[in-house]
Amino acid sequence: MGKSILKGLEVCPPVMKQNKSGQIPCCGGNFFAICICCLVLFFSNYTAQAEEVFVTVKRGMPTTVPTSRYVLSAIFGMRLTTWPDGSAIRVFVLPDDNHTHSLFCKQILQIFPHQLRTAWDRLVYSGTGQAPEVLGSELELRTRIANTPGAIGYLTKENLDESVAILPVK
Amino acid sequence: MNQLPFSQLNNLSAPLRCHIRHSQPMAIKALIYYLLFLPFGMQSKAFELFDSVQVHGFASQAMFLTSGNNMFGPSISNPGFDFTELGINGSWLPLPNLRLSMQILSRRDGAWSNGSPVLDFGLMDYSYNFTSDYCLGIRAGRVRQPYGLYNDTRDVAFTRPSILLPQSIYYEGTRDFTISADGLLVYGEMRKPWGNLNLELFGGYGRTDNKETEYSFIQKTYYGTLASDPSFVGRLNYETYDGALRLALSGAYTSMRYKPNPSWDTLPRGNIGFDPILISAQYNTEKWTFSSEYSYNFFSNSGFGPPFDFSANGESYYFQAAYRFAPKWELMGRYEAYYPNVDDESGKAFQQNYGQPAYTQFAKILTLGLRYDITPWMMVRAEYDYTNGTALLTPQSTLNAQTGNPDYSNTVQYWNTFGFLVSFRF
Repeated sequence: MGKSILKGLEVCPPVMKQNKSGQIPCCGGNFFAICICCLVLFFSNYTAQAEEVFVTVKRGMPTTVPTSRYVLSAIFGMRLTTWPDGSAIRVFVLPDDNHTHSLFCKQILQIFPHQLRTAWDRLVYSGTGQAPEVLGSELELRTRIANTPGAIGYLTKENLDESVAILPVK
Repeated sequence: MNQLPFSQLNNLSAPLRCHIRHSQPMAIKALIYYLLFLPFGMQSKAFELFDSVQVHGFASQAMFLTSGNNMFGPSISNPGFDFTELGINGSWLPLPNLRLSMQILSRRDGAWSNGSPVLDFGLMDYSYNFTSDYCLGIRAGRVRQPYGLYNDTRDVAFTRPSILLPQSIYYEGTRDFTISADGLLVYGEMRKPWGNLNLELFGGYGRTDNKETEYSFIQKTYYGTLASDPSFVGRLNYETYDGALRLALSGAYTSMRYKPNPSWDTLPRGNIGFDPILISAQYNTEKWTFSSEYSYNFFSNSGFGPPFDFSANGESYYFQAAYRFAPKWELMGRYEAYYPNVDDESGKAFQQNYGQPAYTQFAKILTLGLRYDITPWMMVRAEYDYTNGTALLTPQSTLNAQTGNPDYSNTVQYWNTFGFLVSFRF
């Protein structure tokens, strides 16, 4: 059964803590300390503001066991096409030049969008596989994930809601 | 709780089951209900079946302007446009593990290919995932030959590093023979945190009944036909899961038979063998892609009798770097070399024995190219090649207008090529 969205979001707090710890050295009077403090603040704020991308699946999919990156890489690389129960995996993505897609590739798959495109092209034009379905926006992505059996995709934190479940990544 | 793809149909008929349980009049109502909703149910299923259908295609047109030798068609001094590729493919998953794919290709590459559509691949692919880490599968039909980094998609300009693939490894003259063949391919894949290991083994019959292959292997067209004997191709491919490093070892054992025309022929029956080994490596970063491939091949004509019997070992390789210096832009550079006979890399012995220019026995090419992706589906590419030697000129590029046969007597050793390509895909 799906883990609740709130539980899934509990991964975030460490980032907040970093933010707080960054503020403590600011109390010192030393000029350099202030400078360092500003730098720390700047970077910690930067970290906090950096968008996080979550792998999302249709609600009801088993999400208790974290999925490894190399398995996700096989799923989004369209080489692993069935869930453990034998049903079809339906992969939804955003266009290659989309910011969230780029974030997802780098943060989750640790791959560059052009490599993913190369992998899909190799499948599509050699008759050895299919390409994922490319959608126009995160909103559309969320709707399709929520309504398609076996669906998997990704969303930024602000676009998550109760209609989809987060697949934990290890 | 997992919903299976076809469950929507069951969901729609659920009201029917519930009505039937109630009473007889309800059952009649339910029948009406069912009849009303049946088309929707069918549509739902049809939609889901249709959902797993994908159609893709591509179209490319190249222009070549050369300083010495013709490329595909006349291209010296005036640009030649005799290179066009059009392809459309479709795939369908009737079951999650079963896929049907087909591609039709129309191609013009000089005097012998007029663009008539051919079946490029047409196959059935069944795979089984034992766990998410292990997969076994089988492909049957006309399948792509697992060979090197680029053979799988060699007709799609978007997937090529240059206007044409590095000719030292992916020679256009034997394209039909190399690209796809009819038979059975078994494959296995292992996915681990340290990377993917993929093994593909093919057995079947090559596409040898075409002029390019005939000219490439027996240098002249005769009256008989070239038929394929059982041939085998295999590739072991390793890739880190982030796609940064790719290593591959490919090999082929191919065998052909010349069948003379029973009424009249100048070439007796004989066998041709071509067995290449190919080592490939590629390294990717966000902005750079470095690729290199090295091939050693064993070629033999036997059973024809003198002077046709001949055997030689060939060698070829390239080093290539691509740099994505700005979004949508890519700069590439490559050096490649090809020697059909490693015992005579200078071609001097060949010149003495056969009276043909020594430079027909090697090719060294330096390539510089620029690619611009105008949109994700439209790309243009400009390229410059400096070539020493004619060993990689395709036979159809040197046709003598009077004899209709390739003729190397009018070729030059050093030549430049300017190429331009525009390509679309969907």
